[in-house]
Amino acid sequence: MQADALVLMTTGTILVFMGIASIALSKNLVKTIMSFQVVLFGANLALFASGLGTDARLTSDTFVLLSITIGAAVEAVGLAIVLGVHRKYGTLDPSKVRKLKE
Amino acid sequence: MDPSELQAVLLSAALVATVGFALFSSKVSSSLIALFYSSVVLSIIFTLYGDTMVGLVQMATFAGAVSVLTLTVILMTGEDRIGLGVRKLGTILVLPLLAFAGASFYLLSGGSGPSAVSYADISNQVLVFLWVNRPWDLLILVMAFASAMVTISNLMSREP
Repeated sequence: MQADALVLMTTGTILVFMGIASIALSKNLVKTIMSFQVVLFGANLALFASGLGTDARLTSDTFVLLSITIGAAVEAVGLAIVLGVHRKYGTLDPSKVRKLKE
Repeated sequence: MDPSELQAVLLSAALVATVGFALFSSKVSSSLIALFYSSVVLSIIFTLYGDTMVGLVQMATFAGAVSVLTLTVILMTGEDRIGLGVRKLGTILVLPLLAFAGASFYLLSGGSGPSAVSYADISNQVLVFLWVNRPWDLLILVMAFASAMVTISNLMSREP
């Protein structure tokens, strides 16, 4: 593997772990959606780097495009759910929402 | 260090820095602006490594549509007041977008002269590959995206 591809893949992995940590620690649903976006960025970067300098370049680029589109759709649905939760419970804190549900 | 390695390291550092600021900032509006810049950096990475079309799609989708959706949700929920004036916010969000779009179209139109990587060829190959091998995936994705947009607009138009 090329050295720059390795650097990009490592960065992608770091982004995925940062995003997962932020999802676990976040106390705001909008921030959770943003963290999901960061995980998606990391996954896309790693997928893109996996095709650099190989014969599978076209395939990896195609899957990055598909992943971007799916991610955007999932994020739009997530933001709609966040709006719905805010309308019903009046807060975006997941722990408060859980208490209000009980 | 090889120039291409240095480029990868610098861009990766910029990406991790912007993402770190986005995730660990206390204000949601600052997070949104940092996340916008991180998607710009990611688009630049895609473009510099020879895939202008993926860079453009990344830019249009995340720095464009998703940022605006998130901004709308933040304003509607009233979770955070955007402390910037409309002009300043517009400058922050629109200027990099315009600069990147201009540079991409310049590269795609072959304006950069002879280059080791043919940006127009790669973009064309990706489009042909998608159209020939994965047309149903494309259709399903377009339908999913359209239904998400309809859901959002439906939720926004309903009275509380």
